[in-house]
Amino acid sequence: MRADLARVLGLWRPRATWLLGGIAAAAVAALLGLALLAMAGERVAALAAGGLLLLPLVVLRPASRWVERMLTHAATFRALADTRVWFFRRLAERMPAGIGLHRSGDLLGRLVADVEALDRLYLSAIVPVLTAIVVVLVTLALLAGAPLLAALVALPLAVALLLPLLLAPGAARAAAAGATAQGRLRAAAVDPLMGIEDTLAANAEARAGAALATEGAALAAAQRRLAWRGAWAGAAGAVLVQAALLGALGWGLETGASGLGLAVLGLFLAVAAAESIGTLPRAGTTLAIAAASARRLFEAADTPAPVAEPVTPAELPAGYALRLEHIRFAWTPDRPPVFEDLALEVPEGARLALLGPSGAGKSSLAALLLKLAAPQEGRITLGGVDLANLPADAVRRRIACLTQDARLFDDSIAANLRIAAPTAPDAALWRALDRAGIGELVRTLPDGLATGCGEGGARFSGGQARRLALARVLLSAAPVLILDEPTAGLDAETERAFLETLETVTAGRSVILITHRLTGVERPTRILRLVGGRVLSAAG
Amino acid sequence: MITPGEGNAGAARALLRQQSKALRGHVLRPVAFGLAATITGLLGAWLVARLVAALLGHPGAGWDDLAATGALALLGIGLGLAQERSQLAAGEAARARLRDAAFARLLALGPADPRGVGERASLVVDRIEALDGYFARWLPAAALALLAPLVVIVAAFMVDGRSALVLAIAGLLYPIAMALTGIGAAAASRRQFESLERLSGRFLDRMRGLPTLVLFNRQEEEATALGTAADELRARTMRVLRIAFLSGTAMELLAAGAIACTAWRYGGFAGDPTAGVFALLLVPAFFAPLRAFSAAYHERLAATGAAAALAPLLDRPAAEGLALEAMPPRVVVTFSDVRLSYDPARAPALDGLSFRVNAGETLVLAGPSGAGKSSVLRLLMGFIRPDAGRMAINGQDAMALRPEELRRLSSYIGQKPHLFRGSIRENIRFARPEATAAQVEAAAQAARVTDFAAALPEGLDTAVGEGGWGLSGGQAQRVALARAFLRDTPLVLLDEPTAHLDPGTEAEVIESLQRLCLGRTAIIASHSGARAQLGRVLEIAAGRVPGTARQVPA
Repeated sequence: MRADLARVLGLWRPRATWLLGGIAAAAVAALLGLALLAMAGERVAALAAGGLLLLPLVVLRPASRWVERMLTHAATFRALADTRVWFFRRLAERMPAGIGLHRSGDLLGRLVADVEALDRLYLSAIVPVLTAIVVVLVTLALLAGAPLLAALVALPLAVALLLPLLLAPGAARAAAAGATAQGRLRAAAVDPLMGIEDTLAANAEARAGAALATEGAALAAAQRRLAWRGAWAGAAGAVLVQAALLGALGWGLETGASGLGLAVLGLFLAVAAAESIGTLPRAGTTLAIAAASARRLFEAADTPAPVAEPVTPAELPAGYALRLEHIRFAWTPDRPPVFEDLALEVPEGARLALLGPSGAGKSSLAALLLKLAAPQEGRITLGGVDLANLPADAVRRRIACLTQDARLFDDSIAANLRIAAPTAPDAALWRALDRAGIGELVRTLPDGLATGCGEGGARFSGGQARRLALARVLLSAAPVLILDEPTAGLDAETERAFLETLETVTAGRSVILITHRLTGVERPTRILRLVGGRVLSAAG
Repeated sequence: MITPGEGNAGAARALLRQQSKALRGHVLRPVAFGLAATITGLLGAWLVARLVAALLGHPGAGWDDLAATGALALLGIGLGLAQERSQLAAGEAARARLRDAAFARLLALGPADPRGVGERASLVVDRIEALDGYFARWLPAAALALLAPLVVIVAAFMVDGRSALVLAIAGLLYPIAMALTGIGAAAASRRQFESLERLSGRFLDRMRGLPTLVLFNRQEEEATALGTAADELRARTMRVLRIAFLSGTAMELLAAGAIACTAWRYGGFAGDPTAGVFALLLVPAFFAPLRAFSAAYHERLAATGAAAALAPLLDRPAAEGLALEAMPPRVVVTFSDVRLSYDPARAPALDGLSFRVNAGETLVLAGPSGAGKSSVLRLLMGFIRPDAGRMAINGQDAMALRPEELRRLSSYIGQKPHLFRGSIRENIRFARPEATAAQVEAAAQAARVTDFAAALPEGLDTAVGEGGWGLSGGQAQRVALARAFLRDTPLVLLDEPTAHLDPGTEAEVIESLQRLCLGRTAIIASHSGARAQLGRVLEIAAGRVPGTARQVPA
């Protein structure tokens, strides 16, 4: 935990000035609050006649709180922006094996939540803890005249400072249990919805509802344990503050008139400190959650790159014929190999249909060709050059892929298409849209190419979004196209229309069409069937 | 195209109001504990004030009072814990209630719901979780922000009218200050917050699409753009916060002012200082519930967003209709001029389809993709309702039944049967939970699940589904067949049961299918070449039987 948090702080080092400035402002604001209440107390107790200092404090204290909040938030935003960009780059460099092709959006989305959890680390843990330390030290200094009183007031407050550290490990366990419970709850919701037809067909609505309610109750129990820890910690903090207060009063009763001034000062210091100390115990939970987030982030950021970049990259060949020889490939050593002695040739301009049931490795083949994974044995050549000797970005300039989860971004249609070709003129965009069979629809939109797609293409139906993604791939200049179930989500009519034109729209390029069935209109030059990790020629 | 508008926000507020009313009992408890804690705190403050007076030479209080103060403090802390506990319970009750309702509606929407599974699951997980703070923190905090300061003012009044006046003025100024800064904040922020959300969504958006970006070599450009967007986001956010924080500052100013006024009033006062010290200690007690209110304010915003997403779902009326009184032993299905359209812009899926299937007969619906074969099965399963025409079971209107009652008549196997997380045995039993072990075993035998299960590590108890043993399409198809055998209904509906199977497996599955259909009424959608051996073939095209006169819909 400590190592992860230290590494987060390391990432934030360039913003140290801002972060420390925020802490200083918070300390000043807390001390002004202390001064306000203590001076008012002294005055009411008729111990100090002066009240002139009180007036500026009435304005200074709120102003300092405003400055504190502005500074700490500005600092957090700066640090967080750095973390985001760092993490994005890091993850892009080493897209973990398999993540590129399988339902990875949600996983990546969860990592975003982890990055965002880090902002609490500074605002809700680091700032209050350091502020409280300053408050305790100043209290100690002010009461230094009476060591016993200083100890009676400052000691409970100092113990309160230790609470977050003492509570963090337990809170971390409770938070982890909560995360597990949440995962189970999600699974209890997803499973019956994934098989919604089967759920309904079995009249299992009530059973699915009961299963979800059980997991919901389990999650609530886990959250209750975590919240309960926080509540007890808060209660402990309150007890300690009260102990300081009673300590000051008791000391005053015992000492009598001679210690009057200091006793009243101690009393009101304790009252004022309650505000800074009161938020501390919750900082333990924040610390634990931030540490867990940091752990997950660094785990993802530290995965070794699945395919090493060549030390001395070869020249990009002019040709684009693909050849796979004796490929043996497994995603991990403990899983059965997807391919055993796979051999395959895709000559320039070939249209290859690759059939096979799901799980036969069709998408794994795409991962190998795109250098998202490397075979354990055998070699793949592009234009006669071993893929292992070509840098990944060069390969991806030659081979474009429409993955099953190709995503539309929350941006205009034009911006989404230009991801494939940043400098393409509008005419090229329209051509690609027409080829994908969606140009007509885009023309009817009032904003045309400037129409926003919404998050994940939410503005469009599944079939329309799929065709936009297809247009993007068609726009790319890559001579080799991999189309992984290009017509998934399209209705039968559109599917036929698209597949019939496949030959014309991809003229002059190699196409690898990955599908679980052929409709009969594709006219591929070759049909191959993936069975048991090998390729078999199949009759059309 | 969906844009959340004003209507949505209204529906969200209505939903939250209605739920708060239903959960009143749960929400009142923390408020009661909170008020009790406030009163305990006031008593404690009074004792502390007396003790300070004693220190200053106004005898009356001693060690007993100190002990009582400690006891009161402990009581107050205990009450605070009780408040927290009852708040948690309120949140839990609210979530359980809403989750049950939302999930039941989601299931009732069925396969017709166009949203992705992840999105729907997030409605019953994330959106419901986001409502927790509203019931657990915002509602109690809002009630206490009204009531607790009043209690404090009453306590102050009993000791000193003018201190009470100071607090009352501060209390009245609070909403005014909130409104003044709030108006400024709202004016500055409404548009700002929208763009702010868009920008912070950008990171999520680009992260989710990272694979796409990497495949197009665009990751570096996006990283740079993200940095720029983050800078812009920060600048905008800080502009909003500059004003938003003013409301907090206004409260601090009021608190500081109240402290100074009290100090001023009692400063240099020679008499018994008990009232003065008490009045001073009341100031933090007065502002604490207001602070808690401000802290819980964002819970309301988060909940409104979640409620807006949930309201359309929860507002849907439950399906109405009759229950199936007795399971008929034999079933005749009649379609008369049934029409169905998914999208008014496109050709209808069923365009006046009529046919009849006699009891015990197997009807194979044949025709090209999109001819309407699956729609017939979906109608009979109650997944969708026809736009016009009549669908009858044994002469009775099938639409009069509630969809789930209609489904009790049928065993249905879709194109891609889903295997739920659990063992194969549990997956078969899913069709009829009350079945005996022997019946499950027999169904597994009949569908020839036992043939391949024998080779699995734990036979029928092998875990399948997400994270379990991966079964091939043909094997999953046979598990679904076993479900149908076990369910043992008079009507069997099969949608392309052999579409994804290789020829060898297809023959085996068809053999089991024939046994399943024996003695039952069956409708099979299929374009496979093996269909003729299953039963009478009815060709349909463009949503009707070719050659029949196309009637003009009324």
